[in-house]
Amino acid sequence: MTAQQAKLTIILNGAHRSAEVDPRMLLAEALRESFGVTGVKTGCATGDCGACTIAVDGSIVKSCLLLAAGADGADITTIEGLAQAGELSEIQQAFWSEYAFQCGFCLSGMLFAARDLISRNVAAGDEDIRKAISGNLCRCTGYENIVSAIRKVIEAQPS
Amino acid sequence: MIPSTFAYEMPHSAGEAVDLMRADPLRARLLSGGTWVVPEMNRGESRPGLVVDLRRAGLSEIRAEADRIVVGATCTYATILKSTIVARQVPLLALMARAVTGGQQIHNQGTIGGSVCAALPHSDAPAAVTALAARAVIAGADGERRIAASAMFAGPGQTALEPGEVLTALEFPARTGFGHGYYKLKGFEGSWPIATAAAMVAIDSDGRCSAVALAMGGVAATPMSVDLTDVLGDRPDDDEVLARAGQRAAETLDAPWSDIFASDDYRAAVAPTVARRALKRAIDDARRATASHDGGPR
Amino acid sequence: MPLSTNRALWSIMTIDQVTAPAESSDYVGARVRKHNGAAYLTGRVTYSADISLPNMAHAAIVRSPLAHARIVKIDTTVALAQPSVLAVLSGADAAKTSGPIPYLLDPAGLGGHSADVRCLAVDKVTYVGQPVVAVVASTPADAAAAARLIEVDYDELTPIFDAEAAMAEDAPLIYPDWHTNVMFAGTFGDDTFEETARSAPHLLHGELRIQRTTPSPMETRTYLADWNERAQQLNWYGTTQNPHPQRWVLATALGLTERQIHVVAPSAGGAFGLKMHGHPEEVLVSVLSQIVQRPVKWVESRSECLLAGGREQVHRFAVAYGDDGRVHALRDQMIADHGAVAAGAGWGMSFVAANSFPSGYDIQQCRVEYSIVVTNKPPSVGMKPFGKDAPVLVLERVMDLVAEATGLDPGVVRARNWIREDQFPYTTSAGLVIDSGNYHGLLTQALDRFGYQRRRDEQQVARSEGRCIGIGLGFEMLPEIADIPGSFVTAYDSATVRVDPSGQVTALTGVTSPGGGNDTAIAQIVADRIGVAPSDVAVVQGDTALCPYGTGNLSSRGIVVGGGAAALAADDVALKLRTIAAAMLEADLARVELRDGFARITTDHERAIPLAAVAHGAYTLGYILAAEMDAPLESTRVYKMPNVQQVPDAKGRLSTYTTFSNALHVCVVDVDTETGRVDILDHFCVHDCGTMINPLFVEGQLQGGVVMGIGAALSEEIRYDDRGAIRTDAFKRYLMPRAIDIPHLRIGHQVTRSPFSSLGAKGAGESGFAAAQASIVNAVNDALRPFKVGLNVLPLTPPRVLAAIREATRTAGAVG
Repeated sequence: MTAQQAKLTIILNGAHRSAEVDPRMLLAEALRESFGVTGVKTGCATGDCGACTIAVDGSIVKSCLLLAAGADGADITTIEGLAQAGELSEIQQAFWSEYAFQCGFCLSGMLFAARDLISRNVAAGDEDIRKAISGNLCRCTGYENIVSAIRKVIEAQPS
Repeated sequence: MIPSTFAYEMPHSAGEAVDLMRADPLRARLLSGGTWVVPEMNRGESRPGLVVDLRRAGLSEIRAEADRIVVGATCTYATILKSTIVARQVPLLALMARAVTGGQQIHNQGTIGGSVCAALPHSDAPAAVTALAARAVIAGADGERRIAASAMFAGPGQTALEPGEVLTALEFPARTGFGHGYYKLKGFEGSWPIATAAAMVAIDSDGRCSAVALAMGGVAATPMSVDLTDVLGDRPDDDEVLARAGQRAAETLDAPWSDIFASDDYRAAVAPTVARRALKRAIDDARRATASHDGGPR
Repeated sequence: MPLSTNRALWSIMTIDQVTAPAESSDYVGARVRKHNGAAYLTGRVTYSADISLPNMAHAAIVRSPLAHARIVKIDTTVALAQPSVLAVLSGADAAKTSGPIPYLLDPAGLGGHSADVRCLAVDKVTYVGQPVVAVVASTPADAAAAARLIEVDYDELTPIFDAEAAMAEDAPLIYPDWHTNVMFAGTFGDDTFEETARSAPHLLHGELRIQRTTPSPMETRTYLADWNERAQQLNWYGTTQNPHPQRWVLATALGLTERQIHVVAPSAGGAFGLKMHGHPEEVLVSVLSQIVQRPVKWVESRSECLLAGGREQVHRFAVAYGDDGRVHALRDQMIADHGAVAAGAGWGMSFVAANSFPSGYDIQQCRVEYSIVVTNKPPSVGMKPFGKDAPVLVLERVMDLVAEATGLDPGVVRARNWIREDQFPYTTSAGLVIDSGNYHGLLTQALDRFGYQRRRDEQQVARSEGRCIGIGLGFEMLPEIADIPGSFVTAYDSATVRVDPSGQVTALTGVTSPGGGNDTAIAQIVADRIGVAPSDVAVVQGDTALCPYGTGNLSSRGIVVGGGAAALAADDVALKLRTIAAAMLEADLARVELRDGFARITTDHERAIPLAAVAHGAYTLGYILAAEMDAPLESTRVYKMPNVQQVPDAKGRLSTYTTFSNALHVCVVDVDTETGRVDILDHFCVHDCGTMINPLFVEGQLQGGVVMGIGAALSEEIRYDDRGAIRTDAFKRYLMPRAIDIPHLRIGHQVTRSPFSSLGAKGAGESGFAAAQASIVNAVNDALRPFKVGLNVLPLTPPRVLAAIREATRTAGAVG
């Protein structure tokens, strides 16, 4: 019954990496279990909660909706790759100072949704912000401080 | 982890995909964006022996031809929203895509062809492509065939695709002079739509409705077209006329869909409102276009 | 003591900086960010599912497809023959090595009924989803695949899914030896309602049907057991709110001693009550690990997680009141649908619901008659705010109904019925002794800051324009930090504070964090006392081998008792540090303070010694610097709330809760009368939990609670098909609020200290839910007043709202 392992080669947080994966794995699972980036969370495996959100080739995706096998050659960024040279990004800083996470389980997905919005829409208002994180569920924060954190980063952008 | 084993292939063309499935089409499953098929496999509800992933099959192009706009089946909602061709010539498709929920991630992952093939009664795309009178381009072992998109939807989760066939594109007739409106009713963001309506209305220089198309999703097992040709007439945005249009939607709905979000009674009750609101948006859009283009609506 | 010698000795140590920075700070009360936030933000926090052990195997569970049936035969042969399958376990197999799971609180011990709860059903299943067989394989996929190959034959019994039907004489019995389906029943308050009602000017009746909802933290339950046969030792990692009690549960069920078990609760991805002990899988993974002699991990799927639920109740109430809006007497008859029996905390919520009447209102004639009934639904689990939401909802509806009947403003009616500030401590009809409060102050602040009168005027204008706007008030009074006799629900906890020889500060606590900020708040409390920054304090929680004994998290207890204990321990250690520093600085102890990582002279900040030097001195120069003081720099202390009353009073009542936070919410909704859709336009609340250690965290709890309350009011509902199988098995169907569903939440604070807790703080971990839910239900009813309809079945989904409007319109049409 056990499936043969397959070799998966990706660029992970800027580094070329290969690992043996079970081809039955979802990409989220392969990243966590075969590549050790456990900052990727799975909260539902149905594409609803957004906790597994990562960036693949520059686009944010829910990695529980992708087969690991389909990711060969992809350029993947996870939460482990968001800080550059040990420096937290502006978005990470804002999430910290605004208390935009509590238990932290949704945090990785929220950071990617936030980062994606900020890269797409420098003039996003609260409604846009709320919409942009509506693919991600959070049960702790009531979203209020997540919205403030993203707003803070947007307001700090040079217009 | 998916509890079953399967072979995985990533063909580079639709033809290759058809060839891969030829040996045992009933055991093959096509994968487009994955938003529906992957969770189904993960829950063990679908156990294909072969997964044919279309992501590199070259089916994500959008192009304008003389009389039609061709949208590749694996175009994501994000691709559709980025396309200037869609924005100019099939804006209703963009309105629908913008209304798709699940976050930017789902816009990046969900595909128009995937949604059409999933044929879920409550999903956004089926009614929109029906309203747009799209044609489905289907590749199979015996070559290519085209059918009306509305004929794709055979029932909840059922399409006119034969085993081993691939939906490669949707073709939208090039049409101008229409205003567009999309209205979606759902109780909460996380819910599937309860009812959707996609509307196209053309208003002539005298303010009369010269053409109209309305299709509703979520209200029945398959997208429901509502014939309004004799309803809108001279005063399309008159409240009474709109109410009659809503009434027509209610009359057309003979077997309302029922699911966990809403009963058939509720759907029957809100169908007129949803139809009316989409029409109103389309009429407003047509009037705006008339005003801004000085008699030359888009 | 020759001071010069001292100086010579400590001055040879390497000290980089001898002058303390001028700024000093107090962290308690400040909006300090999460002290360990960087680890979260870079994905370095370890949750239970992130732990992988060498040679780890994975479990999958075959769950009952039937709601009520006898297990006739289990065929595991095909599954066992699969190449990667290590073991298949039935309930009968499990019963050979494990006993019943001990109850968090046994209803039988209090006069109710309980049943034998096992990690796998032994001969009978009582709900769809009950664990029946477990499979262990090398990968999760192989375990799941093998689970599908197991055949179980059942002999179906008649199921029952409705609590009221289950109370009928001829109802099928789920646990026949009880001779009833009522698990627990009782009353609170005197039976004087009829008498009072006879003389009261007015009487009204009402009903509320509260749906089943679920906690659903983003992290599902996960357990990993690692049995070491050689050492006869069980290492157990998992999502538990209560590591020490969890150890007792495992020891009891497995027949081990507690010292053979090491429980680790890694960082939690939310809990909300779900992760209190008593779930079958806690024991199951342990049994499996013993059998396969490998670590065994089980990660709950979301659909399994959504089986958990609770809060399902029907309330029928009667109210006697006067023209002035004063309630003279209240009677509530409550029937709670518990689902099947479980060992967890679920049933206690209904008990607490009854015990918490009549919220913060001064209604001494309050009678509650409650029945907690079993049905063939999955068992209730603990969920914040642990039953206290039900009396809030009932009382808030009562106040609005009285306001409507008397023509008074809902705020006025509340003000006339609240316990007054001068009445505290106040003993309720059910015996709870409420510590303190200023409910009228909440109202004043809420109405002012919300612009209440203006909103009412706007509402009139909107109504005249055909818009359906409603304004609702919701007041919550939350009994917190319970001590329930005979259970591990305790109003005490312990903490160790340690400063090591290099001056690093560690706090080890018996309380745990479900994901909020109690670890940071405890760091703040310790930081102030030791004179360091909160980020310099390591807080260790959730490890039975490292932390002093404690109850973990429940009942909003983390700060009051965990923080209280840490404060005591930190004070001890600070005194030691100051004693050593006084000797080093050749100063009076009274003149030495600890600030900014230094011990310094209060009047001369230039005279300062780094904490590291003081600590090193304490460990190495004890005989010289402070012969009468013992190293190490460590203290373990317990903080125990003083105001628990477990000796019944003259009326036989206990007061098991110790702090009582409260809040008033105001909510504005817009109802689409054509579709029944409710949009929340504005939500404001004023909250009072006494002293706030960190307002940021209080607000965070509150905001999360409000949104959960919004979900419970409008969209969240666990639903089953007619055979008892869950239909809401995914987030596509169980609808938790998303960001776009929610308005900007505005918060005001009021601080009325607890006179009993050392910090003046009250529990704040469950705030927001109850008042938000009540205020929305009131707002929607207020919006629909022109239609003369009352909505009393939750949640207020578009179909329910529209059906009520249509029914009202039809009735009005028929009459008119």
